[in-house]
Amino acid sequence: MRFKAQIHNIHTFTKLTASLNSLGPLAWLKLGDEQVCFTIIPEQGTQVWAVLSIDAIFDTYAVQSAANNVINLEVPLGPLNRALKSALNATSAQIRLTKKDNIPLLALTIATTSSNNSYSAFPTGGSRDDGTMFHDQFAANRETIITQEVPVRVLAPDTVSGLHEPQTREPDVHIILPPLMQLKSISDRFTKLALAGAKTSSGAAATRTRLDMAANMHGCLRMSIKTDAMSISSVWTDLANPELDPSQVANGDMGIAEHPSTRMKLLGSADGRSEEGWASVRIDGKDWGKVMSVGRLGGRVIACFCHEHALILYVYLPTDGGEDESVLTYYISSYSA
Amino acid sequence: MDEEDELPLLTAVSSSARQLYLLLRCINFAEKAHVQINEGGLQFSVDEASVMEGSAFISKDLFTTYTFRAPAPQRPSQREIGDSDDEEDEDPDETLPTFQISLPALLETLQIFGLTDTNTSKPPWARDNPASTATGGAFTNNVLGMNNMCRIAYDAPGSPLSIVLTEATIRTTCNLTTYEPAFNEEIPFDRQALALKTIMRGTWLYDAVSELSSTSPEKLTLWARTRGRKPYFALSSSGTLGSARVEFNNTPIRPPPPSNPPADTPPPASNLLETFQLSDPTSTFRASYKFSLIQRAARAMSVATKVSVRVDEQGVLSLQFMIEVEAGKVSFVDFRFVPLVEEDENEGDETQFLGGEGEESDGSVMEDEDERRA
Repeated sequence: MRFKAQIHNIHTFTKLTASLNSLGPLAWLKLGDEQVCFTIIPEQGTQVWAVLSIDAIFDTYAVQSAANNVINLEVPLGPLNRALKSALNATSAQIRLTKKDNIPLLALTIATTSSNNSYSAFPTGGSRDDGTMFHDQFAANRETIITQEVPVRVLAPDTVSGLHEPQTREPDVHIILPPLMQLKSISDRFTKLALAGAKTSSGAAATRTRLDMAANMHGCLRMSIKTDAMSISSVWTDLANPELDPSQVANGDMGIAEHPSTRMKLLGSADGRSEEGWASVRIDGKDWGKVMSVGRLGGRVIACFCHEHALILYVYLPTDGGEDESVLTYYISSYSA
Repeated sequence: MDEEDELPLLTAVSSSARQLYLLLRCINFAEKAHVQINEGGLQFSVDEASVMEGSAFISKDLFTTYTFRAPAPQRPSQREIGDSDDEEDEDPDETLPTFQISLPALLETLQIFGLTDTNTSKPPWARDNPASTATGGAFTNNVLGMNNMCRIAYDAPGSPLSIVLTEATIRTTCNLTTYEPAFNEEIPFDRQALALKTIMRGTWLYDAVSELSSTSPEKLTLWARTRGRKPYFALSSSGTLGSARVEFNNTPIRPPPPSNPPADTPPPASNLLETFQLSDPTSTFRASYKFSLIQRAARAMSVATKVSVRVDEQGVLSLQFMIEVEAGKVSFVDFRFVPLVEEDENEGDETQFLGGEGEESDGSVMEDEDERRA
């Protein structure tokens, strides 16, 4: 069993682990020949199935195992994220699977030039100019190697064979979301509002906040929350509803004609004032805030609404080539109340 | 809600929610606020256990359109600095719509678009950044006059107060549940019988109060007297950790004393105290209030350009803040406080106090007096 790769996009990898970490502490990392999958299945809340193309993060990637060259690991996201953070200024970083005292580890070897730290580490006392000169001559070429070890657990193929992506029915509405950070700042206010309202009444109900999310096939997204003291809703208009690709839908053009979203197109209006044509879900405000933290990756997000059933978010990571995109899939189930 | 069909009682539109937010934030110390709608604007008032009340008047000048359809003919009520503290227009005429709403919810709504974080974590799409017009150049939403809008509507008694914030392609609608007004009498304040009146800058009062707050005192005492036509004003605090005092010495260049009685002497504008009037200039004025209550007005003090401090013969303190929400437009926020009953008040204090009159020894006299009491 062998795994070794050069990390070429440390920033993306760090942000990715940080946002995944907010949903659950442990991830199932599946290293395959062509892609890398991160899966988080928390006991409660949102599941994430992330499929990354190898180029999105790694370079010179090599994986070998007895089981079709696939390695399954259980990775603690917190320690991995911390290890990656120390590599943010690295000139190069390498990750590999090793063993130490019979414990499997992901070892992160980070090479940095010491010039960044030497101001504080070796105060020169003299003028700043002298210090810089000193760097240029000597310190800039000095390399520091840091090794971070993240203990992991190797998962047998049988263990993970029973894990499948959730099955959902065809969505009623699919829509491209506005920038997630914008969405998050408003949803956070909503959650705060609900908590502020609940404080005055009984304390028991205060812990849960239910956001109502809805969208229609006319470019509208609605987020709302209701408390005793108020009801508030924000409506985004002029968003895009991507067209379905006949090659991706069962039965091709026939399938599209019968697709729920085609029916939803007949209902509702583009100004979002009509009460018809909305597919809505009820989700947990706090959980939603955590999901929104993926916004820092800055990708395009398509939301699929299955009315009163589930909300599925496809977060596409921005890539240079744009050929085989990496996608993070979030499954958020709807609460009945 | 089709306001157009039903001719709502109130429709008010403003290009931003910022002024509203700035004013209402000053009185954000209670869960519920009373709202009264009249011809001149919106009156928000909050009350704390009937010993303190605060109110903010949102004049209709702050809105681009303000349409109030009174349920019954109502004479217009104009407010000026002189009388705006007194809700005399809130006469027993029950036709003026009055209700309660959740104030924290309203404030939270008004800052949905991050109006407050003007300098730090302000997202680029937020609007009404006061700095953005200066620094952001000609292409900010502000300057381009994007369709940013804040619309407040109240349809009919019993319906929610609805606030609609529109910005580019986002529209937020907030319906605040309106509650029956609670029966509460306002704290009586007799403007005809003032014991003390002084006007100063809001920040000076703010500095003084925040200075005193470091010892977390329980009591704030106002001292005022006129000696040799020189006004003297001090704030002292006392609590378990000790006591402290901030003095306002009005001793800049003064014109020769006019022939009027000292109480009416208008000091030059450069003075610390812009106005200083005592009903009885021969004695020392003293009144105490609960410090924690006064502190609730701190937000208003910090943003006010001027504050008028008045105490009536009963000892009720009125703080009236003049707040400039945008260039040239001033609004008023009022607070009233019921005084603490002073147990140790006796004539001896005052005579002792006045007996020590000396031209340059204001502070030392006060200290003597404090030591004697301690």
